[in-house]
Amino acid sequence: MSYVLRFPSRRRLLQGAAAAVGASSFAPSLMAQSAPVRVGYSMSRTGPWTGGAQVSQEPNYLLWAEQQNQAGGLDVKGARRRIELISSDDRSDTETVVRTYEKLMGSDKVDLVLPPWGSNANFAVAPLANRFGYPFLAPTALSRRLVEMKLPYFFLLLQQPKPMCEAIVEMFKANGIRTVACVYVDDLFGLENYAAFRVALQGTGINMVEDKSYPGGVKDLSPVLRSIKDKNPDAFVGFTYPPDTILASRQAKEIGFNPKVFYASVGTAFPLYRNVMTPAGAEGVMGMGSWNAKTSPGAKAYFDAHVASQKKEPDRWASGACWAGLEILTNAVKQAGLNRKAIRDYVAATTHKTILGDIRFVGSENVGTPGTIGQWQNGEFEVVWPTPRATAKLVAAKPAWN
Amino acid sequence: MSFFAWVELIASGLITGGVYALVALGLNLQYGLMRILNIAHGEFLMVGAFLTWWMQSQFGFSPLLMLPVSFGLLMALGLAVHFLCFRRLTVTSPNLDIFEARGLMVAFGLMFLVQNFVSWQWGGDLRGYDYLTDPVRLGGAQFAGNKLLVFGLALAFSLGLIVLLRMTLLGKGVRALMQSPVGAQLVGIDTRRLHPLMFGIGLGLSGVAGCLLSMSYTISPSMGEPYTVTALIVITLGGFGSMGGALAGGLLLGVVEAVGMHYTNPSMKALLSYTVFIAVLLLRPEGLFTRRTRKA
Repeated sequence: MSYVLRFPSRRRLLQGAAAAVGASSFAPSLMAQSAPVRVGYSMSRTGPWTGGAQVSQEPNYLLWAEQQNQAGGLDVKGARRRIELISSDDRSDTETVVRTYEKLMGSDKVDLVLPPWGSNANFAVAPLANRFGYPFLAPTALSRRLVEMKLPYFFLLLQQPKPMCEAIVEMFKANGIRTVACVYVDDLFGLENYAAFRVALQGTGINMVEDKSYPGGVKDLSPVLRSIKDKNPDAFVGFTYPPDTILASRQAKEIGFNPKVFYASVGTAFPLYRNVMTPAGAEGVMGMGSWNAKTSPGAKAYFDAHVASQKKEPDRWASGACWAGLEILTNAVKQAGLNRKAIRDYVAATTHKTILGDIRFVGSENVGTPGTIGQWQNGEFEVVWPTPRATAKLVAAKPAWN
Repeated sequence: MSFFAWVELIASGLITGGVYALVALGLNLQYGLMRILNIAHGEFLMVGAFLTWWMQSQFGFSPLLMLPVSFGLLMALGLAVHFLCFRRLTVTSPNLDIFEARGLMVAFGLMFLVQNFVSWQWGGDLRGYDYLTDPVRLGGAQFAGNKLLVFGLALAFSLGLIVLLRMTLLGKGVRALMQSPVGAQLVGIDTRRLHPLMFGIGLGLSGVAGCLLSMSYTISPSMGEPYTVTALIVITLGGFGSMGGALAGGLLLGVVEAVGMHYTNPSMKALLSYTVFIAVLLLRPEGLFTRRTRKA
């Protein structure tokens, strides 16, 4: 026996050599099959964008990776491969966002990328992702100009200014609103929404009695709100970010400004809004919102999983869009593997079933989800407009601030 | 615009100005007195705000009770920071200009350290709570209760510091230190104790400001920087080291912004603030409310 081991026959030697050659030729592909799917992104963990990013975006990325890995990994054309998230803090700085994605796509060559937070950061990175050929499903970008850039790899999940503002104006018309005052943050988000709102108001007979811009990070809106109060408009519309949404609401309460409709934008759908304003104080306030746990069984399952995993509720607007984007990406990889061109083609050509309902893209724009309006009612942010999407009936006249 | 609307507008500007003054008091002690340009002032204010929010939301602790707690904790932190950083700089710096430059670098480091510590401890989310937000009617106008509280306490702290600096022996020592650090030492003032004490009180005041601001505004780890910038403008307007000047400068800035925003829009606020700032630097570099000691 020991003789055989020390001096193998020619036949055994040839068998061993053949096995070694065979194994070495198959090993790389076997290793690739079991290697993790590397998914890169930059996220605001410090700086002024953090408040939005850590509510609407990163918790969803973490939940997605957690769920997929618990199921054995991401389904890549039938093979389960674990997700490895490669992420870093962009300090709410556009230049850092661009450099991070350049590194992820250019030198690290990750398998997939997930978008950063906010219209401005997406505006800066979208052309880059397009150049490197990475599909980009952006859940927190709201800009007509991004659509007009016609970037084939870029997809916007949130409803854009035109449908959102048309929904507001339709709701106004249905409820007899005759005058409106508007404030808007003087950046891409605010300016585009304000412009779309003006266009939507044309020919409706609704009169804009006051419109003023403000800078991000504003600490006092009361002089503006007081002059708006003097003009006694039926409705107030703010194209605002989370801290300003709460500031405007608190200061409207402070000065006793009680229009029939009080509508603010980003942050109204955050659980923080209800916590800070109290459920009674938030009652009747409207804002950008498109879903809640009542929207669909999938939405309920997502809501519960988010609370269990991230120990906090998702917001009722962009979080839903973010999760819908991850659902689309999961299905795309299942169908097309990690071939990024094939993923892009799948995303562009398919009507996707998501927690928000059917989503389909014309160019970069999601045309499957209509403009929607949310409203705080008894501690929940309900979808109240349009009626087919509503999870509760619209309360047309907001009660006075409580 | 009616007379009454004017009164309301000016009053809202004064209240905002009171907030500015409160934020500026602590920095004025540190920079006006010791030439420590504590660029991390807003970050320590943010710590005070987070401590208040945390105690209120976790344990139901009244934010008003957190005023002395924030002051005490931040003052203790200030003494520790002075002991660890600025005491050594005082000894090793050959002159005041180099001390100021080195102090600025240390403060930058502290800014990042404190901001990241709070992000690590409490996360980057926006936070807030509801406290004294109900409007209070004064005459025909109405203001949020928490804003009136901030304004009242800003006045009280400013007046308290003015009295402390003008009427007490400690205040005399501090003013001597402001005039001439070497001269103060020569007449027997214990600058080794007075320096850390004043730095600690400065940080304690930033804690008080943070505690009060958390009642009116949402808070986040990145909230501090704009307050540092505002505080710098206010103490430049009022004159370095002048507590009365900081109060008057803050109120002036608040009123200018309120009236300016009424006639233009809030996007012009920064332009208004910096126009006043640059005008004062050009015409009265010593500050609006200090005695002129040299020609501008």
